[in-house]
Amino acid sequence: MENINMILEQETLPLYFVDKQELDDYGRGGVGSLAGVSYEWEGEQVVHLRTRPARHAYGQVGQVLFTRDPAQAMSASVPLAVLVTEHDNGFSATVYRHGERQDNVNYIPARDELYSRNKGILELNILESKTVAIVGLGSFGSQIAIELAKAGVGHFKLLDFDRVELHNLARHTCTASELGRLKTDAIADAVLGKNPYAQVEKFPVDINKNLSLLDAVVRESDLVIVATDNNTSRFNINDALVRHGRVGIYGRAITRAEGGDVFRYRPGGPCYTCLVGNGTFSGEEEITNEASARRNGQIPAYMSAADAQTVVQVGLSADIQPLCNLMVKLALVELSRGAHSGITSLEQELVYDYYMWANRRERKYANWHALPGAGPMPTILRWYGARIERNTHCVACRSTQSTEIVADMDQGEEYARQLGDNYDGLELEVED
Amino acid sequence: MIDNDRMNAEVAVFNFNRVPQNIYRFMDMGTSKPWLAIAARTNVGNTYTLRIELDKFPNEIPKVFVTRMLTTRSGAPMSGVSASMHTLSSENGRTRICHYGSQAWNPRVTLFKIYAKCRLWLEAYEGHRATGRDLDYWLKHQA
Ligand SMILES: [Zn+2]
Repeated sequence: MENINMILEQETLPLYFVDKQELDDYGRGGVGSLAGVSYEWEGEQVVHLRTRPARHAYGQVGQVLFTRDPAQAMSASVPLAVLVTEHDNGFSATVYRHGERQDNVNYIPARDELYSRNKGILELNILESKTVAIVGLGSFGSQIAIELAKAGVGHFKLLDFDRVELHNLARHTCTASELGRLKTDAIADAVLGKNPYAQVEKFPVDINKNLSLLDAVVRESDLVIVATDNNTSRFNINDALVRHGRVGIYGRAITRAEGGDVFRYRPGGPCYTCLVGNGTFSGEEEITNEASARRNGQIPAYMSAADAQTVVQVGLSADIQPLCNLMVKLALVELSRGAHSGITSLEQELVYDYYMWANRRERKYANWHALPGAGPMPTILRWYGARIERNTHCVACRSTQSTEIVADMDQGEEYARQLGDNYDGLELEVED
Repeated sequence: MIDNDRMNAEVAVFNFNRVPQNIYRFMDMGTSKPWLAIAARTNVGNTYTLRIELDKFPNEIPKVFVTRMLTTRSGAPMSGVSASMHTLSSENGRTRICHYGSQAWNPRVTLFKIYAKCRLWLEAYEGHRATGRDLDYWLKHQA
């Protein structure tokens, strides 16, 4: 309590922020005065002074003069000015408001300083050079994008064709002021807010209808976060991952987020279709959006709106977080693999293909053990990892001759017996 | 979209289940709208042709149509979405069969299995024509 009071008392308001990179650019650019933009978060007395309009909104916008001429900066007729002075090790800023010098000037670090706090844990040069595609920017994808930006990943490809809607807000990173924006736009801004130097490409498209685009995106990425809400897209992404030998991290929640699972694909290992054919994998998953669930068939076309509403069951954001968190860690381990970073030891821990998590002992997890005294029994709030056998005849990741995939296919012999031989003399008649 | 490897594997599964090759044909392969035409005969001896659209197969449940508009016992066209009749919205004047649900679908499901489920649908359809009962009476909901 003491500390907080001390900090509050010592602070001189308002606080000004000047972008160090922009300052360097202005200082080296050799131009004269420059009409910049000031952004003030209303009522918060926090002012950002920029040489150019920011790509994402701050609040109230005003003008600020950047100059090297002290007389100009100190002129009482200039409402807000930044006096730029050159030193041996770069440039510094002095802020004047109507000619009066302001005390509390801070610097937004330039690019090489921005993520220096992560140094020693993450290998920044490596992450900065990596490209991550995030397919699906809902409650999973939005959080993961921002976490990866915080970690210093340098290149993003964002795929989602939805807009931010009211029902998203409880679990989404977007705020109410962003209602109606394309999720690709909103999350691109969120990523750039954490890492202004990230390269972000936006693809507001339905990948199931744009498979060649999906293929190109996967080919140009080092890793794909699969955060969509339907299996068709997962199978389509799986095909592209196998084709181009890219890493994929899949995650989803089970009904009402009572639990969930995470799957990691690495080239040469079991693929998502191997997992789905594995028998232990449940097709049941959380349905959070009626329109989307109708589109992908999770809610059958014949189901009434009233019945559909009982199927749509949204879990808590707090129950989604652990799943996103593991997906982020798996992604960082895969992106840093072999780089001898501070998370190298995790390569020995996160060796599993498939991970399960339970938030509550309900339904699917009803017979799990209560946390107190569970001993070796499965409990909530713990990760359980499993190795999945790669199916050598898998229809999706086959490396063998084409006909060998027959062994993996659902041949329906039980139906053949039911149908019997009823083909004698039957001929195909085809219309044109 | 279905590729040649997969098509050959589907033929192998048809052979394995003793479906003669003269009752089906892969149509418009190499275009953006490939489909399978396959004949079916019910136990009482009526014949039908099924159209299985393969442009998104096997990653997505394929659309299956009877190549004409079927009618109910009371003569109404079976063109709409119906839970009890196991139909989806018709296209181009063809009744569309609801044969698989999304939770049960995966790319390992074969065209033979879809064909077999549609054969059973046709048996149920004829049951409906004979008795007036909805197809639901014979078909449990396609998972
Ligand atoms: Zn596989």
